[in-house]
Order: sequence, then structure tokens, then C-alpha cells
Amino acid sequence: MKREGLVKAAMAGAFLGLVLWGGPPLFRHRHHDVPIIKGPGVTAVLRLSDFSPRLKGTAGDTLIFVLQGKEPGGKALIMGNTHSNEPEGMLATLVFIENAVVDKGTLYVIPFFNNSGSRNTRPGDGYPLYFDVPTDWGSRQFRYGNRDASPLDQWPDPDVYIHYPDGQLLSFIDVRNTNRTWPGRPDGPLMERVTFGAMELIRRDKIDVAVDIHGAETMFPVTNCIVAPERSVKIATLASMTVKAMEGFENHVEPSPAGFRGLSHREIGDHSDAMPFLLEAPIPFLDQPTGPKTTRFLLDGKDPFLLSLSRKKKLFVPYDEGGWPLEKRVGQNLSVTLEIFHQFSKKTAARPIVVRGVPRYADVVKNGVGRYLGDPAKAVAGTVVMN
Amino acid sequence: MIMIAYYIITAFILFLVGWNFVREKKKPDDLVLYLLVMVPLLLRLLRVK
Repeated sequence: MKREGLVKAAMAGAFLGLVLWGGPPLFRHRHHDVPIIKGPGVTAVLRLSDFSPRLKGTAGDTLIFVLQGKEPGGKALIMGNTHSNEPEGMLATLVFIENAVVDKGTLYVIPFFNNSGSRNTRPGDGYPLYFDVPTDWGSRQFRYGNRDASPLDQWPDPDVYIHYPDGQLLSFIDVRNTNRTWPGRPDGPLMERVTFGAMELIRRDKIDVAVDIHGAETMFPVTNCIVAPERSVKIATLASMTVKAMEGFENHVEPSPAGFRGLSHREIGDHSDAMPFLLEAPIPFLDQPTGPKTTRFLLDGKDPFLLSLSRKKKLFVPYDEGGWPLEKRVGQNLSVTLEIFHQFSKKTAARPIVVRGVPRYADVVKNGVGRYLGDPAKAVAGTVVMN
Repeated sequence: MIMIAYYIITAFILFLVGWNFVREKKKPDDLVLYLLVMVPLLLRLLRVK
């Protein structure tokens, strides 16, 4: 009897040790805030709960950086981290926030659109909790999140997600996927309240252009492209052709399917006057037949298994020993976004969006992403906000 | 409301598995399994994972 008690106590001790060993890193990751420097163009910082009040005090609430131009013009919304395991979108938005100066029009930038997802992880896939982007002065650390919101913030999942308002049956996990819950509703599940907040921002502030920046697997056909619905396809095509001709990289146009509901590139256009665009840059890290999911692989996009598959023509993008590094992915997101603004301004002369100070593809490929990220420790007092 | 109900269900299952761990006398394999099953339940209850 005494021996049995000792064995049980030892096992219970090992159990608690396991919990204490595994739990705190996840807890710290969830509560780790990322500093963002308000660049020279930032004129205000809002919250998504200003547009969707029932987000207040929840992990769904997130910051909106406003860059108002000196002259009036069109308005654009840029979103990163809709899927928080596709960080090239978030990094592109940070480059805008920390560098852009708007001459005409207004930019609204949301770097952590699915804030809850950015505090989630996918241990079953061996995801790292953080990644560091090398800079000229050291490195900037970011949370590496998951595609879906944390179940700690929205739980339980239904057996089937019934999309609102169309009633289309989607996978259960999509109830936590902020690229399936558009256009959202004010009192729905948390992620529907997030997308509702963005829809309200778009409708109330009369946004003209909405750019949702993603990454996609090299083995997924909808990659390295601009997804655009009918109303945006002309500008998307002009942007695609221009970056190919002027900057030398491919970024083809994919039509937004009308029958697949809940996606930003579909619902924003159907429920507002804005032109939606969804950018997909190839991110090899998301592919399944790869080596270990290391932070190095996340940054350089180099993998021998993908290289082998590329030689067998199984990938949808060109892939060689150079991989598909972060610089290319962020650079093309920046160039395509700027080109969309440029083409929109040419087409709609009364509502121009003119932005300067943002590097383009060749600059980022040459200098690295870190060149355009400041040092929060040396930033002017009062210019650093935590998200 | 549904989320609160699920936390209550989690706590209840955790209690049941823990009680079985305490009551188990003979099978060490079952003791290990009870503990492993309790890990995710406890982490969810503590709002860690």
C-alpha cells in the first residue's frame, strides 16, 4: 500500500513536471506583445472594437494604424496576419506603418488582423513559437501564429460552420478562420465580430481599396497571384502586368469564385463599395512534404524535398536552390500593393492614393526586410505601441 | 455561455479521470494513460493551450 502510494505520487509529480515544462512557453507566447513603431506617416491609432463594439476586451480586438495624407484622396485598407502562419503579410504591413508617408488619400493598416490566431500555434506540425528577422541593428522578434484563432478565445467549434448570411456549409475549423467568416455580424462568434469590424470600417469610412495579404503553399494552385472579384479584376490585371514588365516578377490574376463564401475577396466586394484584392505569395514553409519546420526554413524557404518535387514539375511556382526567401515574398507584396494603388489612382483620378517611402521588390530583395524595420529600443518616446 | 459549459464539462471529465487515477490499484499502464489524458484537459482548464 505504501509502495503504491509512492509510485502514484512519483507519477503525479512527473505529470505536473510535464505540464509545467510544456505549459509556460505556450502561455508566454500567447501573452507576448510585439512592438510596432509609428512611422512618419501614422496620424492615428484606432482599434477594431471602435467599429465592432462587442470585440472590446477580447483577443479579437486589434490595432488599426491610420496614415492620413496631406491632401484628400482615396482610402485603402491593408490587412496582414489574416492567417497568422503567413507572416509576409504582417511584415509588409509593418513596412508600410514604419516607412510610408501618404501624400494623397488615407491608408488604414491592420498588421494583426486575426490577433487571436497570432497567439495560437500548431504544435502537431512542429511550428516555432517565434521567429527573428535580421536587421542592420540586430533582429526583430515576432510571434509565429496559426491559421485559425485560438480555441481559448472561441470554443467549442461546431460540427459544421454555417456561413452567415449565405448559409453555405463550411468546414468546422473555418469558424475560427478570418478568411471564411466575412462579412461577419456584430453578435456572432468572435471571428465573425472581427470581420464585421473590418466591414464596418470599410462601409463607414468609405474605403475604396481593400488588400488582404496572405501566403500560400507552392503545391497549391492559387499561389503567387492576386485574387480579385469581377469589379477588381481590371486593376489586378494591370498591376500584375506592370510588375512583370517593370520589376520582373510573376504575380498572375485568379478570379474570385462567386460560389465560395466567406472569403475577403468575395464578401468585401459583395457587401460594400470597396474593391477587394487578396495577395498570395508562395511560402514553402506551409507545404506538407518538407523537412523540419524550422525558423530558418520559414525565412529562406529552402527545402530539398520541394526542390525534388520541383524537378518533377509538381509545384505551381518556379523553385530552385535559392528557395523562396522572405525578402521575395514581402517585396512582391509591397510592390503589388503599391501598384494596385497606382492603377486605382489612374482609373479614379478624383480619389488618388499616393504613397511614398515604401520600398519595392528589388529594394527588399537587395537589402532584406530588416532594413525597413526600426529598432523599438531606439525609437522616439511615445512612438512605440504594443500589439 | 456555451464556452463556459464546455469548461465545466472539461473540469468534470478531469475530475473523473483524476478520481480513476486515485482509485486504480493494479494496472500501472492505466495510471500512465490517465495522466496523459489529463494533460490537455488541465492545460485547457488553466487557459494555457
